[in-house]
Amino acid sequence: MAPRMTASTAKILPLVAPIRRIRSSGSSAGGDQSERPFISSAMLAIMMLIASEMMLFSGLIGSFLIFRLQAAFWPPPALPRLPIAVTWVNTFVLLSSALTMTLALRAAHRSRQRLLRRYLLATLALGVTFLAVQGSEWVRLVAHGLKLSSGVYGGTFYLLIGCHGAHVTAGVIWLACVAMAAMGGRYNARNAGGIEVCAVYWYFVCAVWPLLFGLVYLM
Amino acid sequence: MLEHMYFPHDISTFGPQIDRLFLLIFWLVLVVWTAVMITMVVFMIRYRARPGRKAEYIEGNSRLEIIWTTATAAILIVLAFMSRSTWADIKEHGPPGDVFYAVTGKQFNWEFTYPGPDGKLGTKDDIIVENELHVPVNKVVRIDLTSKDVIHSFYLPNMRLRQDAVPGRIIHVWFEATETGQYEIPCSQLCGFGHSGMKGNLTVQSQEDFDKWLKDLYANPPAPPSATEGASPK
Amino acid sequence: MSSTAAVAAHGAHAEPHALGFWRTYIFSEDHKMIGKQFLFMALFMMSIGGLMAMLMRWELAWPETQVPGFGWVPEPFMYEGAIPPNTYNAMFTMHATIMIFFVVMPILVGCFGNFLIPLMIGARDMAFPKLNMLSFWTGAVAGVILLSSFFVTGGPAAAGWTSYAPLSAVPIYTGVDWGQNLWCISIIVLGASSLMGSINYITTIINMRTKGMYFFRLPLTIWSLFITAILLLLALPVLTTAIALLLFDRLGGTHFFLPAGGGEPLLWQHLFWFFGHPEVYIMILPAMGIASEVIATFSRKPIFGYRAMAYAMIAIAGLSWIVWGHHMFVSGMDPVLGSGFMITTMIIGVPSAIKTFNWLGTLYKGNIHYTAAMMNALAFVAMFVIGGMSGIWMACTPVDMYIHDTYFIVAHIHYVLFGGSLFGVFAGITYWYPKMFGRMMNETLGKIHFWITFVSFNCTFFPMHILGMAGHMRRIYNPQQYDFLKPIIPINEFISISAFVLGAAQFLLLANIIWSYFKGAKATENPWYANTLEWTTPSPPPHGNWPGPVPIVYRGPYEYSSPGVAEDYLPQSQLLEHSTGAANKRTH
Ligand code: HEM
Ligand SMILES: [Cu+2]
Ligand SMILES: [Cu+2]
Repeated sequence: MAPRMTASTAKILPLVAPIRRIRSSGSSAGGDQSERPFISSAMLAIMMLIASEMMLFSGLIGSFLIFRLQAAFWPPPALPRLPIAVTWVNTFVLLSSALTMTLALRAAHRSRQRLLRRYLLATLALGVTFLAVQGSEWVRLVAHGLKLSSGVYGGTFYLLIGCHGAHVTAGVIWLACVAMAAMGGRYNARNAGGIEVCAVYWYFVCAVWPLLFGLVYLM
Repeated sequence: MLEHMYFPHDISTFGPQIDRLFLLIFWLVLVVWTAVMITMVVFMIRYRARPGRKAEYIEGNSRLEIIWTTATAAILIVLAFMSRSTWADIKEHGPPGDVFYAVTGKQFNWEFTYPGPDGKLGTKDDIIVENELHVPVNKVVRIDLTSKDVIHSFYLPNMRLRQDAVPGRIIHVWFEATETGQYEIPCSQLCGFGHSGMKGNLTVQSQEDFDKWLKDLYANPPAPPSATEGASPK
Repeated sequence: MSSTAAVAAHGAHAEPHALGFWRTYIFSEDHKMIGKQFLFMALFMMSIGGLMAMLMRWELAWPETQVPGFGWVPEPFMYEGAIPPNTYNAMFTMHATIMIFFVVMPILVGCFGNFLIPLMIGARDMAFPKLNMLSFWTGAVAGVILLSSFFVTGGPAAAGWTSYAPLSAVPIYTGVDWGQNLWCISIIVLGASSLMGSINYITTIINMRTKGMYFFRLPLTIWSLFITAILLLLALPVLTTAIALLLFDRLGGTHFFLPAGGGEPLLWQHLFWFFGHPEVYIMILPAMGIASEVIATFSRKPIFGYRAMAYAMIAIAGLSWIVWGHHMFVSGMDPVLGSGFMITTMIIGVPSAIKTFNWLGTLYKGNIHYTAAMMNALAFVAMFVIGGMSGIWMACTPVDMYIHDTYFIVAHIHYVLFGGSLFGVFAGITYWYPKMFGRMMNETLGKIHFWITFVSFNCTFFPMHILGMAGHMRRIYNPQQYDFLKPIIPINEFISISAFVLGAAQFLLLANIIWSYFKGAKATENPWYANTLEWTTPSPPPHGNWPGPVPIVYRGPYEYSSPGVAEDYLPQSQLLEHSTGAANKRTH
């Protein structure tokens, strides 16, 4: 069933040719022991996840901008304003969590276990605080009559901010897992991959927020 | 020649321009396609496997790559600019209107709004007729198109004209018929289970016939379509 | 990576069945098994989508008559075998959704991506085998959700695969309630599956290539899958956004797409097509890769312009982000913007043309072996040319104003998706079947299947161009309701008859797959005398892919008929002791 080929045997026969040995790397060991990759697979994966998330947020932000730029009044007259002062503070809370995360990372790279735990817990606490403040503000907004169904104003607000909130929640859960592992002394200078990956995700979550804050609350 | 290819009879002023573009692309594609297919078939026959033969080791040819890349790009870009001018003629600088109507799609009928005896649209004496569009021949008809519920599409095959009717938006279209007769106005955007069969009738009349029809319409206006018809959210 | 080494050690010793039935066949983490799972899921779904196509063709040729043999279908789906309009709408919606998301994507990306990537780049498995397993099972759940929508009251989604809002956003507009919601959920879940898959593919291709496998030594199939994975990664989240908004409109009381509440119906179209155009290239790029592979192997020649081929795919991927407006020329978009999209669309035709010319160049002075796989690959080229060229009419805005939403579009879609993607799939299945299942497919049966499919495919879809030129709208269930469509009734009947032949012919493929599995000749390691790495291990490959060490790569993938050796092929991993220099040169 195989096609007729000119090859009579499957073995490659050398032709008459200048004999030159190819300096081959690795020889019989095979391709398994290839060099350490430039960037670890886990890090690569998380960066791609983030690229994908960025497209998700771009879709949401694009939709928001279309509504925002078409609207004659924003917010529509009858609906409550968004809590700007509190959210400024909350923005500060989230951004400082990025700082504590950096410090935790540095502690991990220096194998400073106590410092690492302390900064991880601080990051976790700041993240939870952010979520708690957001949650309580949502409760107040709903009480004041801003609903999901309050036109595109209410709809985009809850969707954009909610989507970010969901990402923070996921980040907090992940952080909790990492913190737990850190309690058990899992990370050190030579083994910090788990924290690095989590940190990249957390930075992403923190970096999206000022953009959303500016667009949804301030613009 | 397009009539032989099943195209509906063309009765609009811009239709011939569109048909000409269609034909231009047709010849272009026919020539390129024939050349590609002949080449392919010739290669397939000439270079079929025979015992003892070995293929020639050719990895590519940058000169050829550059030639066929620039050639295709040039042809396509010229074509784009030719289409661009026709498109601009139709969509951007159409002639001033002689007759003005509003057309509204709804599940599953077309509502045609004619200006009343005052000659103006948007006043109380406007008359709404379902599925019957009458226009005078050789006059520029300008239409404000919208929809009450979902997206419909206002399609005049004989005019080579199509425009979606989008709820919440008023979109402007125009056409000028060059022949009298009876034609169809299908909806061409999926709009629900009654999409198939949603169609109006277009009657292109001489000015005298049209005036007579309009007088009749003013004399016996049809009952306005009931407001409850056509589903609408909330 | 240390884990790679661990897998390697494992692979060298593990027995194929040491894992037991469940871990081997059901919750397998072996990329080869996952690839086969995707294949079988897709073939199953194809039979459902195909059945719907047959029913639609009956309806279009003999509208409002009873379909023979379907009297048993309960009301309100059918009335003694006659198809009512809402069922018809549900059928084309589900047909397209199934074929696009559950047939073409799972086979091209799920099956070939999984099966081939590690084997062709010289890796023991994917970077994340567990994630890979999860990806398949998430996809399977999405399929079950979609199929379950047949059984809810109101029936399955009926707003078209494009689900234009507001039609899709308010249940009373279609009369479909949970059917549409399930459609939305299914596609979101499938999106998650594809996300996991694409992250895995990209990571694997970047990090797990064997020694010597530089990017410009990757087989074009891998290039195509790599680019496809990037497109998937970036395009699907946008669809997810759109569908999330749609679901909120349907269930959460929002008004994103409803003008009554300040919403914008055209937003859906922009989001959908921003995803949709990259999506169509997701469905063709892997087929292009497969065709390149098969054509080079059976022409016994290097692929013409290897780098041009890779760059063309990169260009297509880049341009596919800025052409989405060509689906919206008559939507009420600003005409100037429309002209911009026309120009970008014309330009995206250029890399497609480059690829075609390079395939022709590959045939030139080759030594062409007409195997069933090769015939399907050549048909891919011929059909893709027609599909790509019909795109020119539609890219031309004034002409598109006339042919948009007619059967011309349907003809285009099927020339690229059936003529292109599916012939690519046929070629791929025939070509890699020996590696997947360890047996050769029956060549004669394969050729019979090819010829019947090729002829009936063209009889079915070529006349659709004419229907479109006559103005035949798509998505109507009874063309005979229109006077101006009366002249083309005979064409519709001819198309339907051809379609039945086309549908029936696919049983030959199925029969061949099943028969060969049990009765096919045992496949050798390298039955096609091909160069790429998957042919350097037994068929089927053991767990861990190579019984010994992973091969090292010394050259590009298409060194066929190299003047340096007597044979007309030269595997990527073959180390030449004596050499003319040419054969061993590091082509990259
Ligand atoms: C080669 C260059 C191509 C060009 C210039 C092109 C152009 C177009 C245009 C302008 C449309 C919109 C027509 C309309 O709705 O009025 C369209 C629709 C479509 N194209 Fe292409 N296309 C090309 C290749 C492809 C490929 C490779 C695929 C898929 C494998 C594809 C799949 C589709 C599909 C599925 C639709 C219809 C979507 C729908 O409305 O349901 N096209 N194409
Ligand atoms: Cu309609
Ligand atoms: Cu497109």
